[in-house]
Amino acid sequence: MHFAYPPRKASNPRPYLPRTSRLPGLRRSRLKVIALAGLAFLALVYLVARPSGGRHGAAGRRPPSGSPPAVVVTVLDEKLYSTGYLDAVRENRVQYAEKHGMLPGCAGAVGGYKAFFANVGDYDLDGAPGSWTSVVAMRHALTTFPDCRYVWFLDQNAFIMNPKLKIEDHVMKASKLDGLMKKEFPVVPPDSIIKTFSHLKGKDVDVVFTQDKDGLSTGSFVLRNGEWAKFFLETWFGPIYRAYNFQKAETHALEHIVQWHPTVLAKLAIVDQDVINAYSKKTNGVEYKDGDIAVRLAECAAVGPEACEAEAQSFVQQWRKAFRNS
Amino acid sequence: MSLSRSPSPVPGGGWASPGLNMASGRSSPTRGFTGSNGTPVMWESSRLKRNGAAGPGYPSFSTQKTQRGFFSRHMRRLSTTLPRFGANTNYADKEKLGRGRWSIHNVPLLGRIRAIMARMGRKMKIRLLILFFLLLSIIIFYNSPLIYYWRRTPWLGGGQKFVIILGANVGGGVMEWKGAREWAIERDSVRNKKKYVKNWGYDLEIVDMSTKKRYAHEWRESWEKVDFVRTALRKYPRAEWIWWLDLNTFIMEPTYSLQDHIFNTLDKHVYRDINDYNPLNISHPLTDAYLDPESLSPVGDGDARSVNLLLSQDCAGFNLGSFFVRRSDWTDRLLDLWWDPVAYEQKHMEWAHKEQDALEQLYTSQAWIRKHTGFLPQRMINSFPTGACADNGNDTRIHYAQADRDFVVNMAGCEWGRDCWGEMYNFRELSYYLNRMYWEIFKEDFVAVLWFKLTGQKVKL
Repeated sequence: MHFAYPPRKASNPRPYLPRTSRLPGLRRSRLKVIALAGLAFLALVYLVARPSGGRHGAAGRRPPSGSPPAVVVTVLDEKLYSTGYLDAVRENRVQYAEKHGMLPGCAGAVGGYKAFFANVGDYDLDGAPGSWTSVVAMRHALTTFPDCRYVWFLDQNAFIMNPKLKIEDHVMKASKLDGLMKKEFPVVPPDSIIKTFSHLKGKDVDVVFTQDKDGLSTGSFVLRNGEWAKFFLETWFGPIYRAYNFQKAETHALEHIVQWHPTVLAKLAIVDQDVINAYSKKTNGVEYKDGDIAVRLAECAAVGPEACEAEAQSFVQQWRKAFRNS
Repeated sequence: MSLSRSPSPVPGGGWASPGLNMASGRSSPTRGFTGSNGTPVMWESSRLKRNGAAGPGYPSFSTQKTQRGFFSRHMRRLSTTLPRFGANTNYADKEKLGRGRWSIHNVPLLGRIRAIMARMGRKMKIRLLILFFLLLSIIIFYNSPLIYYWRRTPWLGGGQKFVIILGANVGGGVMEWKGAREWAIERDSVRNKKKYVKNWGYDLEIVDMSTKKRYAHEWRESWEKVDFVRTALRKYPRAEWIWWLDLNTFIMEPTYSLQDHIFNTLDKHVYRDINDYNPLNISHPLTDAYLDPESLSPVGDGDARSVNLLLSQDCAGFNLGSFFVRRSDWTDRLLDLWWDPVAYEQKHMEWAHKEQDALEQLYTSQAWIRKHTGFLPQRMINSFPTGACADNGNDTRIHYAQADRDFVVNMAGCEWGRDCWGEMYNFRELSYYLNRMYWEIFKEDFVAVLWFKLTGQKVKL
């Protein structure tokens, strides 16, 4: 349609804009932009969240929550040792656990340590020496306390002497461990060519051992709970090693694993003996001094149970006094 | 003279400009140029005049005082509304015709397209253009290295997550002579994997399995599989899955990607409870009281993502001719523990299959191995030819079936009394036959057959 003149504009423009039927923000051109942006966004979402994107990812494993924070594991030999002696050993562990069970302001043993006892003969070892029980008992402790953070194995001929020291602070704290661990240190003395890793950090350590004059000592070691711990214990307990007749059973099996398998060595730290494994006599290692967390009667077992019970007398009195005072 | 309307183009007729058609005494060139077809070209109006029609159809400013009927007066208008079948009526052609040049518009098809384009709206043109570019980019994408890089990129196709290790040169070096057949096997096997890898953007690592003095510890000879896997994990830091393939394997279906075939739906394919198929009669799950529930469960944690070792079982137990390991701490531990001097010392007389037996031993005794080991149905990654595992006849669990288009064939044990090269050749040809495209089918099933019927000669095209 053509008009001779275009329609007149009003001389007085209206003070407000005429209302359109649509929403003001949704002009046609703007709608297009919005649609394009939406498409691009969807494409991005598709690319990022495509099924193949995260599907191959490893299943996340829940870290242990830390209740109890630590478990003390001891293997008792009820056939050889007298009940009185073993009761003293048990009491020592239980009291230590209870000391760390008392949270300030709390009456119960919430979040406290636990003591775990096993007896020689509890597990089927396929004819291997009874000392192998320590390894499988550790594994059992991990199963019983799946949320514990650390497991401390302490030989039965040993006593915790200083109830104030906590495993997680005294040994396993990353910053503490950085200073304690020996790097570039032959794992089997005196001159094994296999040495502990120089670049290992305290926070990556999963197991802490000590060395006495014979080599690695399995009388006292601390293990951090986790997949690696299970792998380590199950490997160590492997039937192939048990059947091999190592001269010192699980101790030599451990030395073998540590020297041949870098995935084990890469998580292992060696610390000074007096940190967790001081001996009662200095003939075979570092001698116990006051304030150390534990003392081990390392040589008496070779002589006989009576020797141990006799040697233990003075230490039993000492730890009872120390526990009473703390 | 005043005009009642402005001059405008008339479709098919040129400008209806009054000045051109006035009876100026000479309404057409005296002599037309001789065109390629030999006939003189004339102006439309002059032709009309010559044909006895009553001159141009512009009655409003026609100066010709001739008597005209309705038809002659409305001839043009009527004709322009009729459908046109030639492009030569286009007004623009008048100038170009007869210049003695070859004209593209003589080609009817192109001309027609041009005409369609000319009548098309601008918007439609843009849409067509977009469509055209889309098509073009798709074609370019699939026919250029772009598709390769797409499939390789970890966050697109994910091909870099997969590395194939091919153990080549088995027993080479000093142990045995390598004849023409051995070379042919190797060539075909390597070519097959190279092609597959190139198609899907994976990485291929061909390793030398020849017998050499490689270790200070001579016990470890021919246990290199483990070390090669470890080296590959180091060499390809982006690799997530390592696929080991023996030399005597053939990928029958190169169109299957590993993602589609296995890994996108791993939870559907994998079975972790070995009781599903248990030729070794391993008692599963473990029942030791000291183990945690996950270790006691027959399926581990039941999540397919926690499977770190994927292998298949043949009639005699584990088969390591084709297996996958995933990069993980667990795998590092497995590869580390796989070979152990103490185990070797005790067992090397019993363990004829070295790694395979060692793995069986580990699986049987170690809970942490079981938790992360998964099995695939054998025919998914490791079909056997009928010659292998042949004691009990054909087994649908084990043996290759053409109808199911099995992915990989492993001519396991062919070096002991069977014809490796013959099997390899047959499977190669079968794979080619099964995966022919239209062009191959056309030339082989049609042209060659026709040729044979006509001349009696067989030809290979």
